[in-house]
Amino acid sequence: MIPASFEYFSPRTVPDAVNLLVRYGQEAKLLAGGHSLVPLMKLRLAAPRYVVDLNRIAGLSYIREGDGALCIGALTRHGEIETSDLIRARYPLLADAARVISDPLVRNMGTIGGSLAHADPAGDWGAAMLAGGAEVVATGPGGPRTISIDRFFEGTFVTALRPDEILTEVRLPQAVKGQGGAYLKLERKVGDFAIAAVGVGLVLDGGTCARVGIGLCNVGPTSLRAEKAARSLIGRKPDDAAVARAAETAAAECDPADDLRGPADYKRDVVRVLTARALRLAVQRARGGA
Amino acid sequence: MKVEGTYTFAASRQKIWALLNDPGVLARVTPGVTALTPQGPDTYKATLELAVGPVKGAYDGKVSITDKTPPERMILQVEGGGKPGTIRATGELHLDEQDGRTVVRYSGDAQITGLIASVGHRLIGGVARQLADQFFKGVEKELRPR
Repeated sequence: MIPASFEYFSPRTVPDAVNLLVRYGQEAKLLAGGHSLVPLMKLRLAAPRYVVDLNRIAGLSYIREGDGALCIGALTRHGEIETSDLIRARYPLLADAARVISDPLVRNMGTIGGSLAHADPAGDWGAAMLAGGAEVVATGPGGPRTISIDRFFEGTFVTALRPDEILTEVRLPQAVKGQGGAYLKLERKVGDFAIAAVGVGLVLDGGTCARVGIGLCNVGPTSLRAEKAARSLIGRKPDDAAVARAAETAAAECDPADDLRGPADYKRDVVRVLTARALRLAVQRARGGA
Repeated sequence: MKVEGTYTFAASRQKIWALLNDPGVLARVTPGVTALTPQGPDTYKATLELAVGPVKGAYDGKVSITDKTPPERMILQVEGGGKPGTIRATGELHLDEQDGRTVVRYSGDAQITGLIASVGHRLIGGVARQLADQFFKGVEKELRPR
């Protein structure tokens, strides 16, 4: 399993990397953690002519809070998010998601930006970011622009990033009082992709839901937002009846396919059960304080 | 692996039928087609270059249209192979006219072998739908005056 030959670049700055993308366009591929791209290259399913390695660019790996946002640098490894005290204390949705991504070896190398830009429908960050109401920052020749996560995933492996743009940062609304979140995943064995996974991010205000996001993993051609299910909870108390109704709505909204991980009907029911559990857990955490 | 869906066009059934049977249109709107050469009635030799994210491959194959009942039903058959694997797909298209619009219902079955099948099994359903959607969007573009 040896990749096809390619030319390798290791730029030290984002503008240098962007220039390489401008020069080589679709023939170039960005390398971050490499845990999706490299296996594809070894199988020769992907054979980019030019590989632009982002790992030597300084200043793309950070987790910081301020100005109403949580900002995560694109090169931040899954494992760094998993073990971050800030994330563990204040962002349960992200803490939950980080610890169920693949296995520790992948988490030590794989990056949040790489995972999102790869846009695999089974990627856990996609569903978590849809639940959390994230934005991504894309940097191209004209500088950075922000893209709402709701408009980011255009298809399987297809995103709103232009061929000359690099995903440089992920932003989430800063944790507020009454915020809760959870990410639950059912997998056949540790390290496998999800049969289905569900992320929930919500804000309670006086006992009712002020903001709700529900993201679904590996039950459609892209990471999906269960929009109707989330909307059904806004302004309501998240009691058993409301949670059950939202869970059923989420199951109806997803779009799974029959495959080795099970038939579509089964996955739909997994989504229903996980949505209800994730909502209950998120509510419990929200009530326990921000 | 089965794929089905619908697509609605703001045009008459006759118009859509004509587009779907025009080799020039098929060559322009079928995702990845770089060449489509007629090889007899309703049979074409096709060369495709498909890219799904980082996975890029070149395929040679055959496209044929059978069981035509103008302007309401046809069966599209696609066979092809390349380095990543082979595909054999059959799709049935039904055209229904409703208030001057045409609703195309498609249902298909595809058999895929090779590396693509073993590595990409979980993704093929979504990708097939994505390609079908690209195809119909392409047909829709053909409706607009150029």
